[in-house]
Amino acid sequence: MLRTASYGMACLVLYLIMIAPFTTYLKNKPFIEKLGYVPAVNVLKSVAVDQKELVSASFVLKVLMYFGGLAEKQFVVPPDYQSMSRLLHGAVKLDPYNMDAYYFAQSFLTWDVHQYKLANELLDYGMKYRNWDWYLPFYAGFNCSYFLHDYKKAADYYTKAGELSGNPLFKSLAGRYLQESGQTDLAIAYLFTMAQGERNPALKKTYQTRLTAFKEVKRIELARASFLKSGGIMPVTIERLIGAGLLTPSPVDPYGGSFYLQADGKVATTSKFAFGAAKKDSE
Amino acid sequence: MNAIEITGMYKQFTGKRMTKVDALKGLDLTIAAGEVFGFLGPNGAGKSTTIKLVMGLLRPTSGRAQIMGMDSCQAESRRHVGYLPENPAFYDYLSAEEYIAFVGSQFRMDKVLLTQRSEEVFKRLDLWEARKRPIRGYSKGMVQRVGLAQALVHDPDVYILDEPMSGLDPIGRSLVKDIILDLRIRGKCVFFSTHITDDVEKVCDRVGVINKGQLLVVESVETILQRGLEGYTVFLTNPDGKKEELFVKKAELQKCIEQSVILHQSVEKIEPCRKNMETFFLEIVAQQ
Amino acid sequence: MKGGQRSMKTIMQITLKGVFRDRVFHGIMVTACAFLLIPVIASLSMRQVTELSITLSLSLISFILLLLAVFLGGTSLWKDIERRYTFSVLGLPLSRQRYLLGRFGGTALFVLLVTVVLGVAAFVVVLYASIIYPSERPIVWLNMAACILFDALKYILLIAVATLFSTVSTSFFLPVFGTIATFLAGGVTQQVYEFVNSPAGDKLSPVIRQVASGLYYIIPNFGAFDLKIYAIYGLALPVNGLLLTIAYFVVYTGLLLSAAAALFARREMR
Repeated sequence: MLRTASYGMACLVLYLIMIAPFTTYLKNKPFIEKLGYVPAVNVLKSVAVDQKELVSASFVLKVLMYFGGLAEKQFVVPPDYQSMSRLLHGAVKLDPYNMDAYYFAQSFLTWDVHQYKLANELLDYGMKYRNWDWYLPFYAGFNCSYFLHDYKKAADYYTKAGELSGNPLFKSLAGRYLQESGQTDLAIAYLFTMAQGERNPALKKTYQTRLTAFKEVKRIELARASFLKSGGIMPVTIERLIGAGLLTPSPVDPYGGSFYLQADGKVATTSKFAFGAAKKDSE
Repeated sequence: MNAIEITGMYKQFTGKRMTKVDALKGLDLTIAAGEVFGFLGPNGAGKSTTIKLVMGLLRPTSGRAQIMGMDSCQAESRRHVGYLPENPAFYDYLSAEEYIAFVGSQFRMDKVLLTQRSEEVFKRLDLWEARKRPIRGYSKGMVQRVGLAQALVHDPDVYILDEPMSGLDPIGRSLVKDIILDLRIRGKCVFFSTHITDDVEKVCDRVGVINKGQLLVVESVETILQRGLEGYTVFLTNPDGKKEELFVKKAELQKCIEQSVILHQSVEKIEPCRKNMETFFLEIVAQQ
Repeated sequence: MKGGQRSMKTIMQITLKGVFRDRVFHGIMVTACAFLLIPVIASLSMRQVTELSITLSLSLISFILLLLAVFLGGTSLWKDIERRYTFSVLGLPLSRQRYLLGRFGGTALFVLLVTVVLGVAAFVVVLYASIIYPSERPIVWLNMAACILFDALKYILLIAVATLFSTVSTSFFLPVFGTIATFLAGGVTQQVYEFVNSPAGDKLSPVIRQVASGLYYIIPNFGAFDLKIYAIYGLALPVNGLLLTIAYFVVYTGLLLSAAAALFARREMR
């Protein structure tokens, strides 16, 4: 009895000695933001048996955790968008109704990866199942008009969104912005709506960052317009606009790049509206 | 109607690697109603196999068993039977009271009768105090007594008891003997197996000896005891007060007593000298 | 006849008592504490908090019921044989069929009971989640109830499978692992069947295709009982299909139990 007790005491003391370094080790262990391998969808379906929806949701949450973890560190490491896309595509194959997957996938596929076609294919797939949901055509419409400049198709999507939501706003929205000149306004309106409705802090922040960038673009566009109006010629550089006192304070790209004017007068930025891109360019 | 009838009972077990073992080799046995029958045999003789066949727990390879004229394959044949398995085990999460109530309901006893009967058997088997505790906490002897209680509670006409005395202390054993004697007086049929010869001698009307799957002999206890009588020890006191002890052969007892009268000896005590049941049993088994 | 039913009823009662006294229900209640976490996890969702809370609740119920079906269903009979309870119970004027059905019925009844309790917990959790984060899609409570009920039916069918395995087994390996294997196979049988009969399946050898088709009709089809999609996204329930599924449940369970009863009646109690 005494022997057992003394062994127990010894183990307890050892535990107390080692628990502090152990905890520190775990705390400082780098968060491995790896998404891992995703098996083929058919295999997944078999393994998931009757829990396809759960597995699908777990994929989305995994992507979300991964993205949130990177967002917290200001995207020091660029996200592995390919793996994210693969996981989310897997998720909607398992549960074609999973809105989170569509929502998140279309968001980064367009803005960050510029895979507009892939995004809209995914949204079209989702529309077959979520046939009550106006969000999917709303996203697809925006992608068509803003990124693909396919205004006819965009109008179709917006009409569909209007029908599903019963909200006439979409029609007027479509009419107002579906032209080349209205693109920045469209983007600002879209991003504002998205940022407003977002509860996930990591995503909300990405929307807000992008919204800030586009508000800066809008400011430059306004300055450019008044420069043209007063002088009759297009400005060549942003610095000219600042020098003319039309742009105070000087615009700041929240992605860390710097704005410039393209040959055709369009506002662009070295960051290409993405974290990490400015760095890559400078390399 | 006979209580138990076993005809041409043959049982073969398939052991490991498909080896065949003959556990019973053509057993014929009839036990009359109201009879107390002791089934005697060494370990592994086939006693339990026979009982399990009668209870329908095993299926005969050939032959058949009947209880009260009903084939033992039918569940109804057990309606009039109180059965105590060898080293019994009962749902141990239940209390003895709950288990007995369960047994009573299986025998379709009405509630009033069940309450009355279970009180009787619990008191008789000294389980009254423990009846509300789960069987899980019972000692081996107590579980054995629960087994007896569940065999007795519905007051059947036939009792089939597999090693009823095992696991009991001397007080318990004597209690079981009392119970069996009591059942005998009340005209019930009791068929029980044992390997303890003394049990048989005290309570049985008839005894059957089984070994290696064969029924060697079926005999009334009285006959065995009579046949085993070899003579008497006669205790005499001489007129001078000296005590004397004589061994007298069975046929010479009368003569001996007459002699003692002539010699003015007084007969103090006559004790029969016989081979007891154990010797009988050992002889039978050895003969095989 | 009536007496026989009564004796079966008492076996069911005894089975239920055993399950409760073995603290199985307590264990389930501890596991069910996971329900408290569901709103927290569901709130991570961006666009479908309610849907995710329904998904998680239904999956948790499924998980608990699966454990019950495998371990209670697989060990109920085996434990009786192993602990020698069968000698005393089958020595009563109780037919083996009634005993077997009583054991099955008691376990099935317990699963139904747990389903009701967990179902209520799921309703509360989902209601809470939908109040905190209102859902765009209306919650169809009837669909959720139907989904949970069909889940229970599925696991009762699985208990019948476990019972069948128990009647021929001398250890708990076959009942437990056989049941798990059947569950996995029964979940994918529909997919395999569809694949084999699709153009892609033409490349397979005809023997494999025939074996796969044969197995499809033998192995229970659990896919039909999965109504999660309907419950989570409030889709219209296929009423005719569900009636067919109920009929399938009744017939298939009947088949399994008849086979189990026939095998158990022949079993030797050594």
